[in-house]
Amino acid sequence: MSSHREAPAISKDPVADNTDTYAFVSPDDPSTVTIISNYLPLEAPFGGPNFFEFGDDVRYEIHIDNDADGAPEITYELLFQTKVRNPDTFLYNTGPIDSIDSPNWNRRQFYTVTRVKNGHRKVLATGLACPPCNIGPGSTPQYAKLAAQAVHKIAGGHTVFAGQRLEGFYVDLGAIFDLGDLRPFQNLHLGGMAAAHAVNATHDFSVHTIALKIPKHELTRDGSKPTDPMAGKSVIGVWTAASRRRAAVRHAGSGAVHEAGPWVQVSRLGNPLFNEVIVPLGDKDRWNALPAQADAQFLHYVLHPELAGLLPVLYPGVFPNLAKLTAPRADLAAILMTGIPAGVVPGFQNFTGANPADQLRLNMAIPPARRGAAKPLGLVGGDPAGFPNGRRVFDDVVTVELRAIAGATYPLVNKSYTPDAAASLVTDGLGPGATRYLPHFPYLGTPKSGYEVTPLAA
Amino acid sequence: MSDQTRRAFVKRSAGAAVGATVIGALVAGEADATPAEPVVAYVHHDRVSVMAGEREVTIRDRKLAARIARAAK
Repeated sequence: MSSHREAPAISKDPVADNTDTYAFVSPDDPSTVTIISNYLPLEAPFGGPNFFEFGDDVRYEIHIDNDADGAPEITYELLFQTKVRNPDTFLYNTGPIDSIDSPNWNRRQFYTVTRVKNGHRKVLATGLACPPCNIGPGSTPQYAKLAAQAVHKIAGGHTVFAGQRLEGFYVDLGAIFDLGDLRPFQNLHLGGMAAAHAVNATHDFSVHTIALKIPKHELTRDGSKPTDPMAGKSVIGVWTAASRRRAAVRHAGSGAVHEAGPWVQVSRLGNPLFNEVIVPLGDKDRWNALPAQADAQFLHYVLHPELAGLLPVLYPGVFPNLAKLTAPRADLAAILMTGIPAGVVPGFQNFTGANPADQLRLNMAIPPARRGAAKPLGLVGGDPAGFPNGRRVFDDVVTVELRAIAGATYPLVNKSYTPDAAASLVTDGLGPGATRYLPHFPYLGTPKSGYEVTPLAA
Repeated sequence: MSDQTRRAFVKRSAGAAVGATVIGALVAGEADATPAEPVVAYVHHDRVSVMAGEREVTIRDRKLAARIARAAK
């Protein structure tokens, strides 16, 4: 998946598993940028009685590089605290939760938002309430209104939400993990089955979302409001992460854990599918532990992606030109590691210098697409407001990255190359209609309740 | 070795070591004082890392590392 359970170590630590990162100019408030960071992959809506929550022992981080050095100049840190009203019951709630401060809600979570900007720490807000998980009509009636109470306006013109949301990332995992099968094209796959419709494997699942809306001028290196798409200062690099304390001592017989030491990164994410598809198994855990500015050592995986070699094997005769393409994939390095320099796509750039780092690069001077005109294929679909110019919640990143790896974007750096016809057609067969979104903050949809879903009825 | 004895050993060792100043700062000033909060020590080769709160101090002290390693046997 984008980055759900993408590495051996983090797959055993869901509350710290950073599954998706989004960064886009807020379509309904274009003077701001919204950054979304998701955790806890594949939450089944009925997963109680201890419903999903953030880790009190995890530090959640949003990093912004605004001077193209690969390191963060701005970091937002979120720390959570769980409070139990009544420890003498097994119940998450003892009656309907009809408001964010309902006395019927037994196990609540609160959080603090701290900004570290150019080395200066400032607590922007503390004691902010998360919403409960969506349980069912008896426990969480009118859930959308309830969750809306957990949208907080805080210092510096920021707006924040932290809590359960419907998964926005759509992908046919069941097929893709079965030796790279793409159901619409599986008649061409080694397996030779008849072509079929795609199945969204994340259907009805939820995640835990941190969404932060930030005034653009808070993000630029000089405090200006970006207006020129060709100016370097209009571009920011964004990635998110999770850290745990360096040491943990478990006390026998009590269940208590003592933690000590500095925070140590255990998960991170910039571009979707980077660690999942580009980085090989033996390096995935190390990649999660390293800062983005250390990514030069992974550049060769981008320049020679394993999947580009597999596609011609899995789909015999479909990718003959890709099979012969052995040159370093400078197109992929630009998309994933440096940003696209000026002169490649007319009127567009999101270049952040030659320091390779896995970041979502957002040109904040590019306005959001007009309502109804946004294209899920983003920049390659003719919509510069979308991936890989940042990433919107509905962008079809699986198709974009599949096509890029299949060679569709290689002519951007070598005009003599002719992509295979399949390179501009290949897809797992899903689009944003596979799930639901909100037209306003926090943009990801209302999570399904456990009561209303049928397990795995995609 | 009981937990209580182990704590006392680390505390004494920290006080005696070359890095007593930095480690002492972590364990609340006085070398023989009871730490205000739990202290976790991690020994690897000749390095001793002491963690309390969000702080970590690492010193290189072969003798201290060896004494702690012996205590753990």
